[in-house]
Amino acid sequence: MNRIVRRGLVNLVGLAVAFLFAFPVYWMVISAFKDTNDIQTYTPVFFPVPTLDNFVHAINAPHFMEYLGNSVFVTLSTLALALVVGFLAAAVVARVRIRGRRGFLILVAIAQMAPFEALLIPFFLVLRDAGMDNKLTSLVVIYFIFTLPFTIWSLRGFIAGIPVDLEEAAMVDGASRVGAFVRVTLPLLWPGLVATATFCFITAWNEFLYANSLMRSTYTLPVWLVSFQTNFGTDWGATMAASTLFTLPVLAFFLIVQGRMVGGLTAGAVKG
Amino acid sequence: MGVIETQAAEVRRKASGPAVAPSPSVRMRRAVGRSLPYLALLPTLVAFLLLLGYPVLRLVETSLQHWGLKELFSGTTTWVGLANYQRILADPEFGTVLVRTFIFTAACVGLTIGVGTLVALLMERLNHLVQVLLSVAMVLAWATPIVTGVVVFQWLFDSKLGVVNWAISSVGIFGNWLNHSWFETGPSTFGIIVLLIVWQAVPFVALSLYAGLLGIGVDLHEAARVDGASERQIFWHVTLPLLRPLILMLTFLSIIWDFKVYTQVYAMRQGGPDGQTVTLSVYSYIVGISQSHYDIAAAVSMVMVVLLLIVLIPYIRTMIRSQEEA
Repeated sequence: MNRIVRRGLVNLVGLAVAFLFAFPVYWMVISAFKDTNDIQTYTPVFFPVPTLDNFVHAINAPHFMEYLGNSVFVTLSTLALALVVGFLAAAVVARVRIRGRRGFLILVAIAQMAPFEALLIPFFLVLRDAGMDNKLTSLVVIYFIFTLPFTIWSLRGFIAGIPVDLEEAAMVDGASRVGAFVRVTLPLLWPGLVATATFCFITAWNEFLYANSLMRSTYTLPVWLVSFQTNFGTDWGATMAASTLFTLPVLAFFLIVQGRMVGGLTAGAVKG
Repeated sequence: MGVIETQAAEVRRKASGPAVAPSPSVRMRRAVGRSLPYLALLPTLVAFLLLLGYPVLRLVETSLQHWGLKELFSGTTTWVGLANYQRILADPEFGTVLVRTFIFTAACVGLTIGVGTLVALLMERLNHLVQVLLSVAMVLAWATPIVTGVVVFQWLFDSKLGVVNWAISSVGIFGNWLNHSWFETGPSTFGIIVLLIVWQAVPFVALSLYAGLLGIGVDLHEAARVDGASERQIFWHVTLPLLRPLILMLTFLSIIWDFKVYTQVYAMRQGGPDGQTVTLSVYSYIVGISQSHYDIAAAVSMVMVVLLLIVLIPYIRTMIRSQEEA
């Protein structure tokens, strides 16, 4: 009996912890659907009659569409650039025993831990000199170097996880080295590419320091969201609607990855 | 590449008839084939050189020069040696910011690792359903973009309409907290920022440690129990020592992340009230970007990098070693 009570208590604590972690997100979403009366009250409303007014308000706010476009452009460009360049390097370090491989890996590891917060001043000065400040392409280049080391590191792991035997079998059947890699390993690499892309997406989509410091008018959504809160400080409903809209793509990406990762990388590809 | 590749080459050679000296075009193709891997690494190497190596050099250079608004437009600078470093080290404000950053980092890291470990141990003891609920809740917190987190916490802790003040007041025993302003004093504002960081950082730590716990398995615990060890003894003498390398890595990572954190601190109150929540990275931003003292900001950033290296070097060494074993 004592044991059952203890198990019950432990699970109750688990539920309480889950509630604490989920509550801020729940409160954001629920506030986004409240009308002004339900927001402007000392006694919070937990189950409001939903309204879309706040979303309409947020989308029609100055610059939302423009900065959304900027964010999408910067994020997708970063993702494409990092994946292509990172994939080339990852394929080599995972599959070819070349000289300087160890040195290259150490370089990637160091680059991955580079404190970019400390490189803001030189990036600012260089871009000012080149007349490249306030340009979205500058952000793309910077986010590309933020994400490239992890992209290589992560893809290298995924490629190494796919047995080289499969490629060798294809080569026995007459395929070339590169041909075997492209036809055999690449199709198995999708989950790894998606997982890595998620990381690139989230980094570029969320970045605030550089977007706020290097741009003067062509901002991205994180800068907009923070200034929206300052400018519309009392309109919490619209602020939460804007936050919800900004969060949705990230959550979607997280969910896609979770789904794709299940099932394993090469399940069934190699027997025994 | 082993036997199979040699066999493959053998098969191909046999198929193409008796061995003859390779023609010039074949030799050419082989040379291209040999340089192909290096060609594939080239874009990355160029990117590292131009976008990491050069900025680092410029950072060092700027920290040794006189670099203000005037120099930004004239383009000519003067070398001043270590004067910028002497200036910040003599500045009591820099000292205050540095000590504040250390305390802030210690609070964030300590709480993240402590709470993360407790949540991981809790996960192990839950029903399947509650376990799934807790995992989903943690992924929600983890996936929340940082700026969203900042804006949502400002709303939760709003003095007039915030749900937190209502909740504390409703309990009854703490008195009336309606209209309590959380962002009026430095320590209180820091409390909210630390809470936000810990809320977002615990999921990664807890889920990693939980995976580590699963790896230990039940056999060892079973064996310890048979030998008469209590639950507490098992935790201190079996579980914890086995988790130690993982906890150490997570601690290193947390220190690296929290020491240089910028967005949460700046976006919450721009370093306010009255500059009381200015940490090292925010200080470097304010001095450099807002006040155009690029030289001083570069020196501050250099101090940040050097301090980070103390933690970074052992971390990178461990990371490379673990990759090579894999």
